[in-house]
Amino acid sequence: MRKLQRGLSETFRTAGRSIVLLMLVAAGGCGDANSPYVGTVRPRHGPNELWINNSSEPEWLDPSRCSDSTGGEIIWNTFEGLVQAHPETLEPLPAIANSWQVSDDGRRYTFFLRPSQWSDGQPLTAHDFVFSFRRLVDPQTASKYASNGFIFTGGAEIARGEASPDSLGVRAVDELTLEVELVDPLPYFLNFLSFYSFMPIPRHLLADLDRRGIDTDLWTRPEHVVCNGPFRMTEWQFRQRMVFAKNPRYWDAASVKLDRVRLAMVESATTALNMYTAGEFDWPGGNTSLPAEFLDHLSGYQDFHQHPYLAVYFYWINTQEPPLDDPLVRRALSLAVDREALVKHVTRGGQIASADLVPTGLAGYEGLGRPVHDPDAARRLLAEAGYPGGKGLPPVTVSFNTSEGHRQVAEALQAMWQQELGIEVELANQEWKVFLANAEQMNFQLCRMGWIGDYADPYTFLELLTSDCGNNHSNWSSPEYDRLLAEANRQADPAARLALLRQAEALALAEQPLIPLYVYTRSQLIKPYVRGIWGNHQDRHPWKYIWIDEAFAAQGGPMPSRRTFAPDILSFTHSTETSRRHPGCVQFPTPLDWHGPAPHPLPSPVARRQEMSP
Amino acid sequence: MTRYLLRRLVELVPTALVIIAASFALVRLAPGSPFSSEKEIPPEIRQQLEAKYGFDRPLPEQFVRYVGNLLRGDLGLSTKYPQRTVNEIIAAGFPVTLSLAAVALVWSLLVGITAGIIGAVRQNTAWDHAAMTTALVGISVPSFVLGPLLVLVVSLRLHLLPPAGWGDWRHLILPGLTLGTIYAASIARLTRGGMLEVIRSDFIRTARAKGLSERLVIWRHMLRGGLLPVVSYLGPAIASMLTGSVVVEKIFNVPGIGPYFVDAAFNRDYFLVMGIVLLYAFFLLLLNLVVDVLYGLLDPRIDYS
Repeated sequence: MRKLQRGLSETFRTAGRSIVLLMLVAAGGCGDANSPYVGTVRPRHGPNELWINNSSEPEWLDPSRCSDSTGGEIIWNTFEGLVQAHPETLEPLPAIANSWQVSDDGRRYTFFLRPSQWSDGQPLTAHDFVFSFRRLVDPQTASKYASNGFIFTGGAEIARGEASPDSLGVRAVDELTLEVELVDPLPYFLNFLSFYSFMPIPRHLLADLDRRGIDTDLWTRPEHVVCNGPFRMTEWQFRQRMVFAKNPRYWDAASVKLDRVRLAMVESATTALNMYTAGEFDWPGGNTSLPAEFLDHLSGYQDFHQHPYLAVYFYWINTQEPPLDDPLVRRALSLAVDREALVKHVTRGGQIASADLVPTGLAGYEGLGRPVHDPDAARRLLAEAGYPGGKGLPPVTVSFNTSEGHRQVAEALQAMWQQELGIEVELANQEWKVFLANAEQMNFQLCRMGWIGDYADPYTFLELLTSDCGNNHSNWSSPEYDRLLAEANRQADPAARLALLRQAEALALAEQPLIPLYVYTRSQLIKPYVRGIWGNHQDRHPWKYIWIDEAFAAQGGPMPSRRTFAPDILSFTHSTETSRRHPGCVQFPTPLDWHGPAPHPLPSPVARRQEMSP
Repeated sequence: MTRYLLRRLVELVPTALVIIAASFALVRLAPGSPFSSEKEIPPEIRQQLEAKYGFDRPLPEQFVRYVGNLLRGDLGLSTKYPQRTVNEIIAAGFPVTLSLAAVALVWSLLVGITAGIIGAVRQNTAWDHAAMTTALVGISVPSFVLGPLLVLVVSLRLHLLPPAGWGDWRHLILPGLTLGTIYAASIARLTRGGMLEVIRSDFIRTARAKGLSERLVIWRHMLRGGLLPVVSYLGPAIASMLTGSVVVEKIFNVPGIGPYFVDAAFNRDYFLVMGIVLLYAFFLLLLNLVVDVLYGLLDPRIDYS
């Protein structure tokens, strides 16, 4: 789970932003007044280079230990797993695994690996994956994302120290065949498998460092690192920059157009915007947000892009604390919120109003489509609960972590609840770690939260409300809900599974243990000469497809037309079924480019099939 | 003088101990944990993490250990950057902050003293008013206003210098000016005030009576007296250039140690917070001592023996 709350020194940021906003007004825009683009449109570097931002210094670049998106960005582009995500649809494509077979019960996968090499020339084998997956759940590794490995049989027991890592349900049949056993027939398994936790680890490098008496935690430093992805790190200046060069030993090196990628670590959104304007960045990158106050202004430029993002903003309700222990009061609160007004006037980033926990259309899921605003029903429910017009209801406190954006949302809700229901609402902002400690100890009445889906499946959100989920901060639990989810995951038929999940969501939201508000969007600026970046709902943009359009760069045109995105970008379906019938062969729509055509054909099913013949 | 120095140095030891104990206690009293995030970590994994840093031991034991490591020069491991020691992080960032402060110091002294002298020597003329008005503006404009304005004009309009980043001399100028200006303004006013105080004193009259040239009077006698308040101001000023670089380092994305002051505390990066606090405390104590010694050298009325 990516940190939703980044950059805690909000004071500086806010101050800086307001000043820059003033400056923008004074200067009449960014750069040339008549340019359809923000700032310069000529690259400040050679043709096969890319300058981007990664927002901050990552915690770990070790796939087994990484738990933040800044590390993930680097791991995704320097390592390659069994499958890779399609750059637009995110469907699983063959990568190190050439093809795969799924057992009839959907719990056993056999991956057939292509012969490939590590960046030091050593052969990459199925044993490297076994080593990596065991290491992920091994308590010795102390990985914050160990739970990602709980999908394999034995994973959870190993992490609890009850079993040896050797007992994990992952086995190398031979050098190039990997067998994986899952706890449940998860339809999202292949999509999830492209996540950075599941990259192979060069165990020969770790053994070598250990032999030489070097701390193996440092294996991802450029002087040591051995990887198997499109790029390899050549320089790492702590909190300044990283430089990556194309890895000539990458199995698909022929598709990689860039020779060099320079990555800066600029935390301030306004500073990053300035650097983009001056041409120091070709693309601020997926981990950089644009300053919220500028979105209106920036959205008029050709190089501005926006797309929905697989993340939901909501409020947890502590369901044990009166008066919110009454589901009627909780439902009244939810119905009284005018979500459309909230996204239109408060958050203003094109967010999608939603009263459901699971975004509609996610992986073929038919959303509940609950009303996003119904004040009359809300008043009726409140009266039914014994508080007509809010009379007799004690004040309710809303907590949020200190941030201008969260405050604005909280203030909007405060006004709506006061106005529609006559409820007195108090706001409490808390510093991030204090906020987290209070959430963990259930020391709140209502508190804001955001959740980013780790994989494209309703379960990534619905799991939040299960009884034994450590992230469930509602004090709400229902054996029936737990049973429905467990049954859904045992269900091999995807349609029946989705129906069960929907039934569970309806059951939970009827009790309203949380108040969903909206689905996130991501807003990006990309220089018009940068091509091969697609908008997708997990905000994953592999560098291997990116190229610099020299024709545009040289003459400053022709302008590529801009594509806007409908919310239905969230709707794609899992391809487990197709891959089950035709192992290794997935079907997906013809890739539409978001930002100019790719210079080389994207992987297509037909091409893959030919390549895949043994 | 030597005895005075020794006494001051010995006095530093209890001060340092109090600082270590107080900051250790404060950091640990803050609610929250370095490992908390919105996604729950399995309890077994959390125990492993805590054991790695020794947070599973009783607090007094951790304190004794910390002081023990400190005596060996080991500041511990960062929890936010788990592959780095606090020593490494400070070694990477402190020279950056120092070079920024050096540029700011040179700039503030150059501009401040020049403006101050002009103001004092040409007292109550247009020159004086211009210099002092500029100084007033300089004091009043905070760095988070000046910085973005410089970026807008110099980088985005005139394309002369990069808007942010770190690497060569071009990256030093804008943050250096931003950081130094407020001190330049204070120094200008202090220099002017200090010089005006001595300008009518007996020893200046004597110097003039001796027939010294006006230039010698200004440079040798007036300036020496006039700079006293500046010198006493410089100690805390340098310290606050080092600590006050937080905002400037954020605006210009300078990889110094300024932002850790805020971020490490927010992240509950215990050892990093401690390391930064101790580093700054050390510099503050040291600079105060240097200022006191310089006072003795500059002002013949002060005698430490």
